[in-house]
Amino acid sequence: MDITDILNLSLLASMVRLSTPLVLAALGGMYSERGGVINIALEGIMLAGAFTAAAVTARTANPWIGLVSAAIAGLLVAAIHAVATIQFKADQVVVGTAINILFLGVPALASGAMFGSTGSTPQLPREQTLPDWNIPGIDSIPILSQLFSGHKPIVYLAILMVPASWYVLYRTRFGLRLRAVGENPEAADTAGVSVARMRYAGVLMSGVLAGIGGAYLSIGQNSLFTRNMTAGRGFIALAALIFGKWHPVGASLACLLFGLAEAISIRMQGVVSIPVQFIQLIPYVLTMVVLAGFIGRATPPKAIGVPYVKEK
Amino acid sequence: MKKLSLAIALIFTLALAGCVGAGDESGGRLRVGIVFDIGGKDDKSFNAAAWEGVRLAAQDFPIHLRDVEPGDPTSIEPCMRAFAERGYDLIIGVGFAQAPIMDQVARDYPRLKFAIIDGVIDSPNVASLIFEEHEGAFLVGMIAGNLTKTGKIGFVGGMDIPLIHKFKTGYEEGAKYANPNVQVFANYVGVTDAAWNNPGKGKELATAQIDRGADILFQAAGNSGLGVFDAAEETNKLAIGVDSNQNWVKPGFILTSMIKRVDVSVYNTVRDLIDGRFQGGIHLFGLENDGVGYALDQYNEKLIPKSVLDEVERAKREIIAGRIKVTDAMAEK
Repeated sequence: MDITDILNLSLLASMVRLSTPLVLAALGGMYSERGGVINIALEGIMLAGAFTAAAVTARTANPWIGLVSAAIAGLLVAAIHAVATIQFKADQVVVGTAINILFLGVPALASGAMFGSTGSTPQLPREQTLPDWNIPGIDSIPILSQLFSGHKPIVYLAILMVPASWYVLYRTRFGLRLRAVGENPEAADTAGVSVARMRYAGVLMSGVLAGIGGAYLSIGQNSLFTRNMTAGRGFIALAALIFGKWHPVGASLACLLFGLAEAISIRMQGVVSIPVQFIQLIPYVLTMVVLAGFIGRATPPKAIGVPYVKEK
Repeated sequence: MKKLSLAIALIFTLALAGCVGAGDESGGRLRVGIVFDIGGKDDKSFNAAAWEGVRLAAQDFPIHLRDVEPGDPTSIEPCMRAFAERGYDLIIGVGFAQAPIMDQVARDYPRLKFAIIDGVIDSPNVASLIFEEHEGAFLVGMIAGNLTKTGKIGFVGGMDIPLIHKFKTGYEEGAKYANPNVQVFANYVGVTDAAWNNPGKGKELATAQIDRGADILFQAAGNSGLGVFDAAEETNKLAIGVDSNQNWVKPGFILTSMIKRVDVSVYNTVRDLIDGRFQGGIHLFGLENDGVGYALDQYNEKLIPKSVLDEVERAKREIIAGRIKVTDAMAEK
């Protein structure tokens, strides 16, 4: 066994690719949950985004239109969640679960109607998927080039969204108000902040980001949508959000850690003589051990999961 | 409470209707039901081949055809039973995962006929359609072993199960037969049936193998294998398709496909049913009856030199004659 088969520079690029959809979904979840709405529908929203991106691109031959459509699809699915939980004060976990189950089936149905193929959308030719962007200057520096160059545009969006989300959350009035309605909606309401409006904004934001995360799977990393292709990434993003203490940087680091563990496990297969079942456990076990062992207790926003009813 | 029970009743009705469409419009024709694997009938591969076979049969023979695609493993049984309860004359199960379920259902309905692809059920009313994938994989392995420039080739399997090991060992032996120094990397997408539907992971595994020097990759991974094709295209390497002829999927980047004539096996089973010659027991599809093989068409004829094809054809005759023994990974336990 040669250690460079596992630990090499392309491992970093692989880590970035595997983490990107998680980072976007986790940041999305953060906006929703910081506002006090539990969003376990991330998985379903990602599926909706992934399907829409692939289907629209297959029809228009333009991945950018596909990408924008995925963001809109995410927004619409999140709107279902928002209306049900904020307007009608339905249980947030139940609504999220319903959306996840619904979007296991809806893409297959729509794909069957659009392409006569329920299992997957047509495979796109390479030039119709999102391009790889090389960043001049960086693309010749080892390590930096693997991390920051030669990736799909969505990767750069995810990287930029981390500091941007930090700024929005901690340095803007919107962020302050969003956090306020997630911690103490009564106080925010008293101060004249519309709790419903802030929560709508948070949930819809999560839809846009998770939808784009889904699009990365279908028109960035791959060239088609297949049934249930998120394979639990929405839930992993949710876990990363919690381990990251609902903080944009923390959540993104947790996603990166998971991506790194998965990239390592992919490279260990067939190199190390351990049964594949154990190798495939590594990302999950490693993430749990590191995060549970070193991060400590995560305290959720105080008003999370509680529908806000205005006192009369 | 009343509302809730009403809702439950409604859902049950919908679920039943979802499994098998309501109403009997067979018009006295023999009825054939097919239950697909989790990959769904449009995986461009294994399930697609089965679908092609029954569709052709429905064109050629007066049968009434219905299909279901269970979305998850737990809905396979209700869907299969729904066909049985409605007295379908032939029920076809696609994939090894359905064998234990069909075993039970076929015992409960001894007067109906069943066929299982990739599984063995010891029951007189079940035809077990078995393929000698290791022999077909041997031939594509020879092509890969002959044409690799780096001396390293890859294999990306779907689920880590004996059936897929059969592809892998055949491929490996074929490659080594052609080129004793060849190095074979083998990876699997996963250990659950989600492994058939994860093209992203398929692509990452393929990329990792390419990073290690592999220049020809054989995939036996359902929809996940489409990610292997993407990886080959992006890095200008070659991939080998599986089950159906996939040469057309990425022309120029698919060296060949190991064909498993699931379509023929299904078609023949329906034909036998029509002719009243349906027989239970094991039906073996190998090189000698063209049940497995490799694909050669306008998309890949320029990729494989004549000398290599001659060598492969020679090996094919030797295997049929029993002079080359290919290890069947499923038989050795």
